[in-house]
Amino acid sequence: MAKEEIQSEVTGTVWKIESKVGDKVSDGDTLMILESMKMEIPVISTEDGTITEILVKEEDPVAEGQAVVVIELD
Amino acid sequence: MSWKRSRDELDKRRRWAEAQGGAANVERQHAQGRLTIRERIDGLVDAGSFQEIGKLTGAEAYVGAALKHVTPAPYVMGLAEINGRPVAVGGEDFTVRGGTTARLDKRKGGQGGFVEDLAHQYRIPLVNLIDGAGGSVTSAKSRGHTVFPGVDSFDRSIDLMGEVPVVCAVLGSAAGGPAGRAILSHWSVMVKDTSQIFAAGPAVVERSLGQKLTKEELGGSAVAVDKAGSIDNLAESEEHCFELIQQFLSYMPQNVWELPPTVSSDDPVDRCEDALGSIVPEERRRAYDMRRLIDLIVDTGSRFDVQPRFGKALITCLARLDGRVVGIIANNPMVYGGAMDGPAARKQVRFIEMCENFHIPLVFLVDVPGFMVGLQAEEAGVLRDGMRAVYVASQATVPVITLVIRKCYGMAGMATCHKRGLEYRLAWPSAEWGSLPIEGGVAVAYRREIAAAPDPKRRERELEEELREYSSPMRAAAAFGVEDMLDPRETRPYLCRLVKLAQSRLGTDLGPKPKIGVRP
Repeated sequence: MAKEEIQSEVTGTVWKIESKVGDKVSDGDTLMILESMKMEIPVISTEDGTITEILVKEEDPVAEGQAVVVIELD
Repeated sequence: MSWKRSRDELDKRRRWAEAQGGAANVERQHAQGRLTIRERIDGLVDAGSFQEIGKLTGAEAYVGAALKHVTPAPYVMGLAEINGRPVAVGGEDFTVRGGTTARLDKRKGGQGGFVEDLAHQYRIPLVNLIDGAGGSVTSAKSRGHTVFPGVDSFDRSIDLMGEVPVVCAVLGSAAGGPAGRAILSHWSVMVKDTSQIFAAGPAVVERSLGQKLTKEELGGSAVAVDKAGSIDNLAESEEHCFELIQQFLSYMPQNVWELPPTVSSDDPVDRCEDALGSIVPEERRRAYDMRRLIDLIVDTGSRFDVQPRFGKALITCLARLDGRVVGIIANNPMVYGGAMDGPAARKQVRFIEMCENFHIPLVFLVDVPGFMVGLQAEEAGVLRDGMRAVYVASQATVPVITLVIRKCYGMAGMATCHKRGLEYRLAWPSAEWGSLPIEGGVAVAYRREIAAAPDPKRRERELEEELREYSSPMRAAAAFGVEDMLDPRETRPYLCRLVKLAQSRLGTDLGPKPKIGVRP
């Protein structure tokens, strides 16, 4: 089945991971929250599917465009 | 039939033109992952619609009195249609002497030339498919003198900016004149990995500055699109590039004397999305996806991002509301909380000027905490860039609708309103505004009181709470300080109605727009 990587829109750090491997998610769901420039930046799923991998942990630095979650598409 | 010999010769000359720079050069062009100019035009325009002009141009080779071959001029151009609408289209033929200039009685295109005159005379969009390296010092040897800059002037290219839509696609390595030509456009695009643009290429840079850089490092999309913003959009392939050009032109009028085309939309005007009601998080520090918000409001699938990779604190896009074209300017809370830095301000200015030029009404979706602050921003001249955005917004004459989604602060907030027009401002319940945000603002205004308090941190928080009470947009609405409050779900029908209303006004303001004064 097709897999899709969800990327971070910004450079920052991982603040809270609000999903886990195996979760069913839909387009629009918040997967994790990053902190950047004192703002909380949600990482939002752009796909419907199941999370197969979470590539970062809390407090990790992330770069703009970095893949943070892998989703297997429905 | 009579004139057979002449007609045969015409056929032969046309075949030579179609052979371009010869099989070996065509193959080399393909090996670099690039199409030839003829394939590009075929890929871009409606099938069978290309009417070439100047097909016989080229360098003739005679043996005695017998014509042996014509090497075509390195520029192909003519008239075509895109989605049934006429355009002037042209581009360098890189397979012929690397797309350099031909010695003809007059230019075919590329920087002025017949194709630009064609767009001017018939008031139709111009599409430049750029794949050329510009001037060469070797021309001095063949001419016997050096050529003064501007012998091929940009005057027509510049005049077209106020007359018809000009699209430039960079499809190879563009330096010098062709690079400059690409910038003189309302919208430009380049192709990932196979195109580069720079004032001068790696050899000149190494000789001048000792910097050793590849073409891609110097002028690939990571520089030209993402950092410099000198080219607006990035295409994944040449085919994708042609699709983007077709899409961009679908929002444009044929010229400034006509309105942008309205299409029939099957997206109901009264589509009120529940998701809009909760898209802005109640936690004030929490960002949200502004593009998603836009998609919930505009006609399904109608958003076309302009400059999506540059000045990312701002989103500028063309879209449709009930089939009518609008220009949307929205702050992006995901990037620096939506604060306006230099690139975002320049992007806003460029987009407003384009919409103003082509009579496209503007919708601001506002969530801006102000100009970007800090040493880096000041050194980059954020004040001048930011005030230029205020200046250009003030001089706009197209109808402007301001909808405050969340924050609207300071001069950056001012740049989203149209005081000289109707100043029609709408707000969602999540809206807040002022001359500067309470955080930080309190620390400045009550500095002595805070310092004198037994627990300064606590006093600061208390003062912030106290002032926040006044920041409800409903209080401002009661004072008519904002024209109306919307339930977010009502946004689409409300905006559709206003954009429909704007059509008569837009239709009575057609023609070129003179610009007065000196932009800061």
